[in-house]
Order: sequence, then C-alpha cells, then structure tokens
Amino acid sequence: MLKPMINGALVMACLACALFFLRFWRASRDRLFAFFSLAFVVMGCNWLALTLLDVDDERRHYVYVIRLVSFLLILYAIWDKNRAGRGSSS
Amino acid sequence: MAEAVYILCALTSVACAVLLLRGYGRSRSRLLLWSGLCFMALAISNMVLFVDLVVVQGVDLSLLRSSLALLGIATLLYGLIWDAQ
Repeated sequence: MLKPMINGALVMACLACALFFLRFWRASRDRLFAFFSLAFVVMGCNWLALTLLDVDDERRHYVYVIRLVSFLLILYAIWDKNRAGRGSSS
Repeated sequence: MAEAVYILCALTSVACAVLLLRGYGRSRSRLLLWSGLCFMALAISNMVLFVDLVVVQGVDLSLLRSSLALLGIATLLYGLIWDAQ
C-alpha cells in the first residue's frame, strides 16, 4: 500500500518540478530549463511505469532505461549551457 | 545488460549531482543548489538500486529506494517553491 503511494507522489512531484522549469523557460527562454522540464517529465514516466507495469525480473531493466534517458537529458542540458557560456565569453 | 543499465543510472545521476553542485559553487545560484541536492539523493537511491537488484538478492529495498528519491524530488520542489530566484 505504501509503495504505490510513494511512487504516485514521485510522479506528481516530478510533474510539478517539470511545470516549474517550463515556467522558467517561458520567462527566460533559456534552453536549460526546457531540457530540465523534459527530463522531469521523462523521470515521472519512469515512476509511473514502475507503478503500473508488473514487469518480471528479466525485463525490469528496460523500465530503468527511461530513467537513464532523463539523467542523460540533464547532463546534455548542463553541457549545452556550459558550451553556450563559453561561446558568449570568448 | 541489466547491470549495465543500473550502473549507468547511478553514474549519470552522480555526474548530474557533481556538475550541479560545482555550478552552485561557481555561480551561487540557489536553484543549482536545490537541483544538486535533489540529484544527490537520486544518486544514492540509484546506488541502493544497484545493491538491491544486483549485489544483494532476496532483500527488498524498494521502499528505501523510493523514499530516498521522494526525499530528493521533494527537496527540489521545496527549493522551487520557496527559494528559486
């Protein structure tokens, strides 16, 4: 009972974070925020899949690929931001 | 394959936490601090995931994993609501 509740809270919290970053992106037009927003939506999908899908041990790691994608999006966003920063300073 | 995915999840989340906290050290932007703390909790959660599913089998640590992740995301949400500039 507790596990689905926590997972549901995680989905909701991820989507709330995504909405905040979307608002920051609308206000600043900084791509970093758009990537963060997308990453948190993807992360929310990961928690949703973990809650709703009853996957067996053999295939469970496929669900975690979704989570990996969200972390890679964050890393790309940081790299993209640093590259833009270097470009404007030189 | 499964082990690789879990290890990559842990490594990428650690990298996110380090880069965000380093960014906070440079710019002192509070948003980076909250994001860095969030990813630190997510990184610990992913390390527990690896221990749970690969190293120690037969012990269910899923509640601990989810709680750590919730703590991380809730930290970020707190920062976004009260402290983001």
